[in-house]
Amino acid sequence: MSIINYVNKEIQFKIVYYGPALCGKTTNLTYIHSQVAEAHKGELVSLATAADRTLFFDFLPLNAVVVKGFKTKFQLYTVPGQVIYNATRQLVLRSVDGVVFVADSQWDKMEENIESFKNLEENLVRQGTSLDQIPYVVQYNKRDLGNPAPVHYLDFVLNNRKVRVPSFVGIATSGQGVFATLNAISRLLLQKFARENETAATKQQQRSATSSATTALSGIAAAAARR
Amino acid sequence: MPILTIQAAGGLLKALEDFLEKSEASFVLIIERGGSILSQHGEIPDTIDPTILSALAAGSFAATREVARRVGETEFSALHQQGRQSHILMSAINDEAMLMTVFGPKTTLGLVRFYSAGAVKQIAAVLEQARGEPQIPIDLGSEVTDDSCDVFEEPSRRV
Ligand SMILES: Nc1nc2c(ncn2[C@@H]2O[C@H](COP(=O)(O)OP(=O)(O)OP(=O)(O)O)[C@@H](O)[C@H]2O)c(=O)[nH]1
Ligand SMILES: [Mg+2]
Repeated sequence: MSIINYVNKEIQFKIVYYGPALCGKTTNLTYIHSQVAEAHKGELVSLATAADRTLFFDFLPLNAVVVKGFKTKFQLYTVPGQVIYNATRQLVLRSVDGVVFVADSQWDKMEENIESFKNLEENLVRQGTSLDQIPYVVQYNKRDLGNPAPVHYLDFVLNNRKVRVPSFVGIATSGQGVFATLNAISRLLLQKFARENETAATKQQQRSATSSATTALSGIAAAAARR
Repeated sequence: MPILTIQAAGGLLKALEDFLEKSEASFVLIIERGGSILSQHGEIPDTIDPTILSALAAGSFAATREVARRVGETEFSALHQQGRQSHILMSAINDEAMLMTVFGPKTTLGLVRFYSAGAVKQIAAVLEQARGEPQIPIDLGSEVTDDSCDVFEEPSRRV
């Protein structure tokens, strides 16, 4: 659902960070905000409880490259991971273009990871979309905590759909893996956008070919009528 | 996908100009329900980032609507917040967009509400028409879609 504005020459994408409670979604945005140059970022807004748990969402607007005169803008959101906030997660997912699924690598969080992933799929279906249409990547966070589950196992339980998506290991508190993840999802969105535009370009060519054919035909018909 | 052609964007702006002139509100935003701005008009103070305003407004409007729905109220279409100096009116345009009007002591809620009804209709018609328009292709070129391209830079890890 990217938004294209031909007057401001802007293309906007909405990226949502999803995952179980305390997996590190907000920490990803905090780190991104600390690194991106002033000119390319807005304020990081957090609607959180007094205990720093996300209550509604975090929001960080980023301006990326200008391509062929079009500014590309990425709006990053996090959802609240706590199970009880599902109604809020559904609101935040509205018009999403891309998803970063952040998982907690600790063994005892595996069930919550799986549950949260299922919840993401269900909430997308409620919006009439699915992970077949929405580009996404996976981040296995908290690799610094003792005895994290191995990546191939995490891939096996969380990255097991028809198409394996890019996955990254992360330590969001120190920034490790955070930009690799962000760049991967941003690139997927731009690539999808480029593909869709190619299709639109082909359609347009077909349309103009058909309309000139129609003009030619009506010319023949007119000539026939005159005869 | 909301696509604002030059014509559609012009139509939205025209509706906002009319509305602001008649209602004497301070500024107004058309916000896609996902939180992005579709159009804006009026004097937005430098201290306000409209991108953030629209993300928050879409969230609060959606949350209030959801509360209304859960108590069995389906007719909920506008939300008014009264402050000391400035007031806010949020109105539903259609399933995809909402209108946020910020106004001060120069005018009244009654007037703003009255003129917003016409503006909402006009905007809904522009958006409806824009929906049918074919997409004008934009060629982004390979430099950004290339697998090796980094959209965002991380200064502290630059080598
Ligand atoms: N050791 C370690 N701690 C982390 C890491 N990432 C995040 N944390 C910590 O985990 C806690 C929760 O992180 P948040 O970013 O608030 O988690 P969240 O996913 O936003 O949680 P909710 O808002 O409840 O959904 C914080 O204390 C973070 O500092 C990591 O990679 N390693
Ligand atoms: Mg959080």
